[in-house]
Amino acid sequence: MKRKRQKDFKSGRAYRRKTVALVFFGLLVLISLLELIPLEQDFSQKENRPLATRPKFSLEQAADGSFMEKYEAFRTDQFLGRNLWVSLKNRMDLLIGKRESNGVFKGKDHYLLEAIAEADQEKLEANLEAIGDFRAKYEKVPVYLALAPNAANILSDKLPRFAVTKDQEGMFRSISQELGEGVAWVDLSKTLAAHKKEEIYYRTDSHWTTLGAYYASQQLAESMQLDGTKTPKWEKYVVTNIFTGDLSLKSGYQTGYQESIYIYTAKNEKEMPQIVVDAKEGKTSTLYDRTKLKEMDAYGLFLGGSKGMVNIRTTADTTDRLLLVKDSYANCLIPFLVPYFREIIVIDPEFYEGNLNDIMEENKISRVLFLYSGNTFVQDDKISGVLRDG
Amino acid sequence: MVAGLFDSVVFLFTFLPVVLFLYYLIPEQLKNVLLLLASLVFYAWGEPVAVFLLIGLVLFDYACGLHLAKVLKNRRRARSAVMFCALVNLALLCVFLYGRTVLDGLRLILPVEIPFRGFALPMGMTFFTLQMLSYIIDVYRGNVKVQKNPADLALYGFMFPKISGGPLLRYEEMAGQLRARQMSAGKVGEGVMYFIRGLSKKVLFADNIGLLHTEVMALGAGQVSVLSAWLGCIAFSLEIYYNLSGYTDMAIGLGKMTGFDLPENFQYPYLAGSTTEFWYKWHMSLGAWFREYVYHPLGGGDAEESKQVRNILVIWLLAGLTHGLSWNYVIWGLYCGLLMVAEKLFLWRLLDQMPAVLGHIYSVFMVMVGWVFFFSQRAGGAFAYLGNMFGAGANGLADDRGMYLLVTNLVLLLVMVIGLFPFVHKGYESIMDRGGKGLALLNCVIYGVMFLLCVTYIVC
Repeated sequence: MKRKRQKDFKSGRAYRRKTVALVFFGLLVLISLLELIPLEQDFSQKENRPLATRPKFSLEQAADGSFMEKYEAFRTDQFLGRNLWVSLKNRMDLLIGKRESNGVFKGKDHYLLEAIAEADQEKLEANLEAIGDFRAKYEKVPVYLALAPNAANILSDKLPRFAVTKDQEGMFRSISQELGEGVAWVDLSKTLAAHKKEEIYYRTDSHWTTLGAYYASQQLAESMQLDGTKTPKWEKYVVTNIFTGDLSLKSGYQTGYQESIYIYTAKNEKEMPQIVVDAKEGKTSTLYDRTKLKEMDAYGLFLGGSKGMVNIRTTADTTDRLLLVKDSYANCLIPFLVPYFREIIVIDPEFYEGNLNDIMEENKISRVLFLYSGNTFVQDDKISGVLRDG
Repeated sequence: MVAGLFDSVVFLFTFLPVVLFLYYLIPEQLKNVLLLLASLVFYAWGEPVAVFLLIGLVLFDYACGLHLAKVLKNRRRARSAVMFCALVNLALLCVFLYGRTVLDGLRLILPVEIPFRGFALPMGMTFFTLQMLSYIIDVYRGNVKVQKNPADLALYGFMFPKISGGPLLRYEEMAGQLRARQMSAGKVGEGVMYFIRGLSKKVLFADNIGLLHTEVMALGAGQVSVLSAWLGCIAFSLEIYYNLSGYTDMAIGLGKMTGFDLPENFQYPYLAGSTTEFWYKWHMSLGAWFREYVYHPLGGGDAEESKQVRNILVIWLLAGLTHGLSWNYVIWGLYCGLLMVAEKLFLWRLLDQMPAVLGHIYSVFMVMVGWVFFFSQRAGGAFAYLGNMFGAGANGLADDRGMYLLVTNLVLLLVMVIGLFPFVHKGYESIMDRGGKGLALLNCVIYGVMFLLCVTYIVC
């Protein structure tokens, strides 16, 4: 009798409740104690964003509640085993049918596509105005603006079913209309759309492939009327085939897809001029930094990643000097421009602290090209700054 | 992740373990004091300044209670005392609830500049005030003994399990529990399950479907198809239910972990057969408060029909206005009130004759239309949104955007709709009640995984 009652008790509701309480308090205590271990990181590679760190206490910040907010953010961001939780969440989201994470679509055929960014009208106007003024100031120097369409624009059929993103072509149209006279608009969208069946965008990275950049450079050569006799016969070769790009990191979608990075060189070495590349950290004779292939972001291979200013001198038989104002999209396109110029000064306003007027005055620049991807350009807040009069 | 709420790392992995550890350790007489201190810390973490205001309010009501108890025999004096006290409480609430809106309105009319912006409404102040009124009125009615211990009265007001999201307590049902309460390991375990269920409702379901609602609301005019508009409205209807009932479950759970029995607040409202029944099963503790302290004193259901109609409308207008001073809350309140009046006067006959399914559909539909006024910023926006739901100004019946939202949220929507039915929880319980160690283990695994999934969404 007693044994039976004990059994009922052991297996009944009370038993179930007690065991669940034990499990819950066990988890609570375990995690709370592990949380006491002071491990702090200030950057999450996995999410590609800075993490909140321990805030300093002050009475004022406690009174207006901002200390508590910062402390909560700190505890959340520095939570034990953060990366594990992040991948668990990504998996859950995928499981319940979400196809978008951190502004990245998980598209068809292993494509990850960055959502088209909304234009920041105020900054965009300021940039266009600054470019117009710049053009007016150096009226003898032709100025070109070329915007690379992003993958979600050209490869919209690779987006998840029914997915809608912003109308980048519409933005490009209004930008090209707003451009003042004298600034030449180079339409890259048409060129790339014509080759959309080829591998012109990486599947796991936000950039175009070297092939995409190659087609774009052909359009540029045509629009800028570069000397066609200087064009070498290009030959491609693969430098890695285990590349996983930044979108995989940004979205947390680990598709396991690995792809190749190609670089293009002249078939006949004599067709290609010699170069000296100076990025303020010693001179080299190459536009590639192969050590980056071993790093997280292997796209840094091109130009060794984005830098404020890179000076490229060539032995090309010309006096043409190009000022190239650009974002990282241009990094893999620069090799295609080398044969046509004596000197290319590459400026990435994101990292550059000087002023373009100084460069114009100190060097005999004969052309200026602004080359950006659509997403970066419509959100950029640096261009107007580097163009302003010193 | 807002300071002072349950779904935060600080609450779950610092506050709760420390408070519960101490609570189970210290002797009986000190438990209330500890709980009060913990509750004050909890509230101050979210409202570091307003906490002093509410402490002041408790002390004022404490003094009022003592005074009331002294003059209770003299009904005239007692009456004026209770009126005075209620007025002070309500006036203070109005200052914080409506001050900003009124000042903003005045600023538009008056030529002089008003430098003062008005205060933001402290978290939970509306419920706090209503609960304090409940104490004062219950003492006045002689239903309860006056509270001699200010700490216990403060605990009734500040109790951290319920201060941020209800349920709304009436003093009458808490008086006994403040003195002594039953504690057992089984009750704690029951509380744990309540808490994890509530946390999951909030973090896994309400927050996620809330993203769908936000996405639809962010669409510009002309981008909303009929499908998107309905999805947005369904998402909100689910979000608000899962959010509020999740908060209540967490509160009940935390209550049970500390020995309290807090009232249930939702009883599968979306399965109601009329809006009257819906509101009866929705936020029941608030409904009970209004019935007890407003509807019955006004005559309640015994009054003549015209008075009943008036009473219903008064209550709904008040219910709308407790959410803020804005036309869409007024319209929402009147809409709900008028529907209830219509159901009372003549619709009930129709609903009685209809098949039950139609009654459910009618009720859900009417409630969802009401929610549009509730979630829209302005009355004009609400009408435009309703128009979209019925095709006026909409971007077709279904567009790609709507289809995308549907496809990417379909699983979540289905699970959440199924969760509205009682058979899910009841079925689970009846399987578990078969007993056995295996099932108890399974139960632990299920609740453990649910908790860890919640942590995932809290951290990321």
